[in-house]
Amino acid sequence: MKKRPTIGIYGFTGCAGCQLALLDCEDELLDIFSALDIKVFYEAMSNNDDNALVDIALVEGSINTNKQTQELKEIREKAKVLVAFGSCSNHGCVQAMALGDGEWEQRFKQVYGDMKFTVAIPREAQPIHKFVKVDAYIPGCPPAKPQMLRALTQLMHGNQPTYTNSPVCLECMFRENECLLYNGKLCLGPLTIGGCTAPCPSHNIPCIGCWGIIDEANHISELKLLKEKGFKAEDIIRRFRIFGGSDIVEKIQKLLEVI
Amino acid sequence: MRALKLAKKDEKKLFSVLEKFGEVWSPMPKGKRFSYEKIEDPEDLVLHEECIRTILPVKKFLMPPDFNILSFTPQKFTINNEEIPFKIVVSVPACEIHAVNILTKFYTTDYVDNYYMKRREKLIIIGKSGLPDEHCFCHKTNTSIVEEGYDLFFFDLGDYYLVWVGSEIGDDIVRKGSDIFDENLPKDVSQKFVEFRKQKNKSYKNNPDMEGVTDLMELMYDAEFWDEFGDKCLSCGQCTMACPTCTCFNIIDDLELNKELGHRRRYWDSCQFKDYSLVAGQHNFRGSKAERLKLWYTHKLKAFIGHFGSPSCVGCGRCIITCPVDINVPTVVEKLKS
Amino acid sequence: MKYEYNKEPELYTPIMMRVISKRDLTPDVRFFQLVPKEEFKHLDMDYKPGQFMMLSLFGTGEAPFSISSSPTRKGIFEFAIRETGKLTNKIFELKDGDMLGLRGPFGNGFPIERMLGKDIIIVAGGLGAAPLRSLLLYIMDNRELFGRLIYLYGAKNVDDMLYKPDFVEMLDSEQIELFLTVDKGNEGYEDSIEEGKVTHLFKYVNDIDPANTIACVCGPPGMYKFVVTEILKYNLEKDKILLNLERRMKCGCGKCGHCIIDYRYTCIDGPVFTYWDVIHMRELI
Repeated sequence: MKKRPTIGIYGFTGCAGCQLALLDCEDELLDIFSALDIKVFYEAMSNNDDNALVDIALVEGSINTNKQTQELKEIREKAKVLVAFGSCSNHGCVQAMALGDGEWEQRFKQVYGDMKFTVAIPREAQPIHKFVKVDAYIPGCPPAKPQMLRALTQLMHGNQPTYTNSPVCLECMFRENECLLYNGKLCLGPLTIGGCTAPCPSHNIPCIGCWGIIDEANHISELKLLKEKGFKAEDIIRRFRIFGGSDIVEKIQKLLEVI
Repeated sequence: MRALKLAKKDEKKLFSVLEKFGEVWSPMPKGKRFSYEKIEDPEDLVLHEECIRTILPVKKFLMPPDFNILSFTPQKFTINNEEIPFKIVVSVPACEIHAVNILTKFYTTDYVDNYYMKRREKLIIIGKSGLPDEHCFCHKTNTSIVEEGYDLFFFDLGDYYLVWVGSEIGDDIVRKGSDIFDENLPKDVSQKFVEFRKQKNKSYKNNPDMEGVTDLMELMYDAEFWDEFGDKCLSCGQCTMACPTCTCFNIIDDLELNKELGHRRRYWDSCQFKDYSLVAGQHNFRGSKAERLKLWYTHKLKAFIGHFGSPSCVGCGRCIITCPVDINVPTVVEKLKS
Repeated sequence: MKYEYNKEPELYTPIMMRVISKRDLTPDVRFFQLVPKEEFKHLDMDYKPGQFMMLSLFGTGEAPFSISSSPTRKGIFEFAIRETGKLTNKIFELKDGDMLGLRGPFGNGFPIERMLGKDIIIVAGGLGAAPLRSLLLYIMDNRELFGRLIYLYGAKNVDDMLYKPDFVEMLDSEQIELFLTVDKGNEGYEDSIEEGKVTHLFKYVNDIDPANTIACVCGPPGMYKFVVTEILKYNLEKDKILLNLERRMKCGCGKCGHCIIDYRYTCIDGPVFTYWDVIHMRELI
């Protein structure tokens, strides 16, 4: 039998939902376990080999303490291919929605007071590419099953996972949904990386952009349209902020001033 | 061509006749719009007079959005030879039948696409002429009347339907339903039919001036309004999915975990996406949104004539009620004319 | 509705091929020789110089590649492939005896009938020498059917020149007026290879009879404009200048739409276009 590639699945700050999404692939679980030699998977195993060198490292979660930074760097050294797995490690996700606004310390104090931290010093949530070189990205909050399995298969065969360059609208139309944006809902579908199979719009829930922003996203046009449809600037910004972080908020604020 | 009569009170009985020929698909409400769905209940069979524009056109049966063309292992491959069931689509407007004819012409020119033809042979089209709504403009694209491509075609003439028989299968259907289809047409049928057509022609509210658009596409190719449209376009690709004559697709290979089994998938692509014209070495022949929009409208209004003899816009109005930022055939035509 | 159509062979079904040999032409271009797995079946498959085939590796994908071999030497299919992406990376990993799929041939190819008896000017740039090799071999194998044969080839540097030993050897041949150049650095080949752009070789092209000459050009997208300007100086008619172009393709048979330019499909009406096509169709070069 061919030697199975080794894999480590690591979690930092986040809801661990991406790891759960992997475990949720019930029909394929046996295939995953027989195709890959899993060395680390705290979410699912008790017998973890932290020192193992791995072919593939799936890293979930954002980096929130100096200790995590250190651990992440160690994983990088042990892994041949390091993959940012899910939105938290891709771009910070919800916990990074106010990244870089300069008020983090104040907020932190409000919650934790003057508590002293000794083991790990907390810091603002950051995506993992701020600290280490990332070889591949699997976006999603959480990643969708078909895309996740496809990416895993491609990684197993030594390929780069296919980067989806079509917006959510493509699969939304495959499922024959009415356009929510056309119907006057605050839907971010056209700006968001597709591959999720459009579960939200299929249930009449507008897209909130959890997979991150697509190349060539036309923010100006979408903002103009949303304003025409009667949405207030703060509502639009709030929607963008959830997954876009501060960079995008700044951009949107500037755009809203000019249009 | 044969013409028969179907009394409106027998409309629901049609289902039991059609059922014998295959799966029956009819427009079903989906939100504010409609979608062709498989029906089991005779009550769901829709032949109303109002124009029903489904979200996705009939092409979804002929070239599914996403399907496997072949499967492979490291040793060998097998062509996807799945059995396609006969499908009967009810309430297909004339413009869409024109679109199917265009697709068929497209898929049989130069090379014949068997994946399409296999499905076309198993598709039974029951057409229906209704009154136009505020978006229809098939009178401007000469697609409001259809002469071929359907199996049966229904005209709503008050208390009965006038039924054209357009194919052998259509003939089989009316023979099977000899108890509801009546060969004796009322005396005033031709008068009623003319009245119906007159009323239909009067009912169009959307009147884009399509005359000379083909030449204007050429003359206005470098006009500034294309850039304005380009700035507006969200590149969501919905227009191409909704358009009944858009055919572009992508082919990629997917492997299955561990089993070393893989599938070659063919799925709808859109010329509005950035990667559409990207070649090796990252050279993109159509890098800007304006260029990609121009490609689409050139193809719809002009280029298709060069290759297949007729423009490929059938005036169904889907682009009008799909594009969130109001880029559609009438708005483009308006700019071309200004 | 009934249509007459041939149910076999399937349009999207590849023929399996076996790699029988490969060698590096330049640091990133490799030359592959393929034979059909079931030789008796596809050995005499015909094609024209300038046509292309869809090469596929199951699990990775499919892409169009120009045929480098000539139909006058049937049985072996040859391709010169540059390593640029996912698929070509995997093709480079192939060993002798490995299988890959081939579909086609597609495209119009060079109009050989029109070229018979004519003087031929061939201008190649970089990897453009790959499809033009098919034409070159075809003419060499039917030398008496054509007039003069002038071949100009420009590459980036000496290392990037395809089929360099073959070309250098051909320099002495009386069958062909061959001139080679590289943009920079001709060390070791000072006698045979010049320095400068390919356009600079036109000074050797003299006594051209415009009524009796056809020019064939293939190279990187940026090259055509300059080369065509030079050729037009010989008063060649626009439809006697043939350009071999490249586009993204998924099917190769006019269905997937990716290669469309105006009302033409590169895979059906091309990849060989006349200069007249180019000026009356936008976006072509």
